[in-house]
Amino acid sequence: MKTYFRELSVAAALGVVLLALAVFAPAFYQPQPLLSLLTREAPTLVVACGMALVIISRQIDISVGSQFSVCSVCAGLLAARGWPIYLVLPASAACGAFLGAINGALVAGLRLPSIVVTLATMVTLRQGLNLVRQGEFVNLPDGIQWLGLGQTAGQWLIVLTALGLLVAFGLALRHLAAGRLVYAIGSDAEAARLAGLRPQLSTFLVFVLLGALTGLAALLNVAQSPQVQPLSGSGLELKVIAAVVVGGVAISGGRGNLWGAFAGLLLLACVAPALTHLHVEAYWEKAIQGAIILLAVVADGLRSRKGGHR
Amino acid sequence: MKKLLHLCAAGAVLLASLVTASAADAKLVVAMLPKSKGNAYFISCKAGADKAAKELGVQLLFDGPTDSNAAKQNEIVENWITLGVDVIAVAAENKEGISTALRKAQKQGIKVITYDADAMTDARSFFVNQATPEGIGQGLMDEAARLTGGEGEFAMIVASLTAANQREWQKHIEARLKEKYPKMKLVAVRPCDDLKDKAQSEATAMLSANPNLKLIMAICSPGVPGAAEAVKQAGKTGQVKVMGLGLPNENRRYVKDGVTDSIILWNTGDLGYLTIYAGVALAKDELKKGAKTFKAGSLGTFSIVGDNILLGKPFIFNKANIDLFDF
Repeated sequence: MKTYFRELSVAAALGVVLLALAVFAPAFYQPQPLLSLLTREAPTLVVACGMALVIISRQIDISVGSQFSVCSVCAGLLAARGWPIYLVLPASAACGAFLGAINGALVAGLRLPSIVVTLATMVTLRQGLNLVRQGEFVNLPDGIQWLGLGQTAGQWLIVLTALGLLVAFGLALRHLAAGRLVYAIGSDAEAARLAGLRPQLSTFLVFVLLGALTGLAALLNVAQSPQVQPLSGSGLELKVIAAVVVGGVAISGGRGNLWGAFAGLLLLACVAPALTHLHVEAYWEKAIQGAIILLAVVADGLRSRKGGHR
Repeated sequence: MKKLLHLCAAGAVLLASLVTASAADAKLVVAMLPKSKGNAYFISCKAGADKAAKELGVQLLFDGPTDSNAAKQNEIVENWITLGVDVIAVAAENKEGISTALRKAQKQGIKVITYDADAMTDARSFFVNQATPEGIGQGLMDEAARLTGGEGEFAMIVASLTAANQREWQKHIEARLKEKYPKMKLVAVRPCDDLKDKAQSEATAMLSANPNLKLIMAICSPGVPGAAEAVKQAGKTGQVKVMGLGLPNENRRYVKDGVTDSIILWNTGDLGYLTIYAGVALAKDELKKGAKTFKAGSLGTFSIVGDNILLGKPFIFNKANIDLFDF
């Protein structure tokens, strides 16, 4: 119970917000808008799964927003050329994995600090994309939206794909040796090495995985509209890192899980629609989100001072 | 014919520069700062600016933040001051924020002009006004009233709550609303950070939070397709009208499907073109304070009110005429 205090408190906060909405703004609970909201957040959840792994292994990747944009545009252009969705999907994931591999190689291979490496790739990818696309939207052919399934079925498929990945990675992280390895290198990479593990290889693979998930997420987002905005994904890195940190993943590595990250993401995602439903001015949105992040970080700080789990 | 006009204009400029500036061996350098350079709106401004720069024989630098970032704009201006450009043309993200840097540029002898979104009046010589805030605000509100029959609830999506031009337009929309359409009610204003996806999320929440909503007005270009997609997904096409400021290409599909009713804009290429012409004229001392008109190459003469060079009336794109425009 005490071990999961952080996760449980985020879930409780989410519960309070949802309860307050049920009382003060019952219109929030309509099936179509709610499904739309979940569908909109599904790509973010997929990226958050990968980001949680990266942060648990005591690294960070702030280039995911740019990776997301590049993958979106690539997927869009391939689809516009007439590629079927079952080819566009692996292509988008491969594109992301490649971009993740660049980050991973620089961080793990050359042992450079990940915040600097990914800052560089973030800027490079974003500006490169601007140079090539000049901000122009990519118009998609008709069959791509909702993966060719129609709106409701497509929305469910997107949401269930994201939830499926969450559960798969959540369980793997807890129960598979590879999952425990992520915690090991995040807690103490040197100890992990002395124990006969290969921390550099693991770090590299975690970045590749995040890239691949980002590519997949980009496609799940592309499939939600008939056009791709090259700016899409801008600011995604902050959204994802905030969700993961609010969800109890320690930014110093070695602690946290995906269930907490999921709760953190939902909590932050609820803020904007909740304000709209409560007819509160939009100025509050970012202030409240910031306060939630601050609260989470302070809670972590107090815990580590008490000598509890990091 | 048009080509001939361009040629004449170029010839005239060449002649003028020969007569007035014998020491002008080096090309004038004009630096243009958009709010965000990934935004198709500013890209289409740049197309006009490129054309003007070519006609005038000046070098055009075009750089800006990738997102709407006021601090980043300051950085870029500081760099240009160090670089020693001749003219800086700015679309200000934050009116007060950018003005200190612009005043510094003026002190260094750099001519400063603003376009699209103004800075503080003492931080620049002229503002190229794509349409007066009144014109835009009234145009938007009148069109909204026309679409809803002058009554019912409507909501707005803006780029950000702090951008100078957005706030100015909003003020005039609300003024027009109060003055002429007492039966209409503005029930929500939400920011979309210039992101289509966020606009879609916001519009979805607006639709469920306000069941009597009759119209969504987006006053930033990515907001219109975002709102249209939300209305389409909610199955409220026709029931909730969508309109706003935007680019024809980004909205074509929704306009043709009948989701989006009207797109309101000025000619963005002309805005870029006029800005460069005015900036260069300023640098060559051909445009001075107190002037009442200004002639910009092939576009002809524009009127100046105070220190605002006016581009003219906004234009409404709809199902009937949208295919005549490709930008």
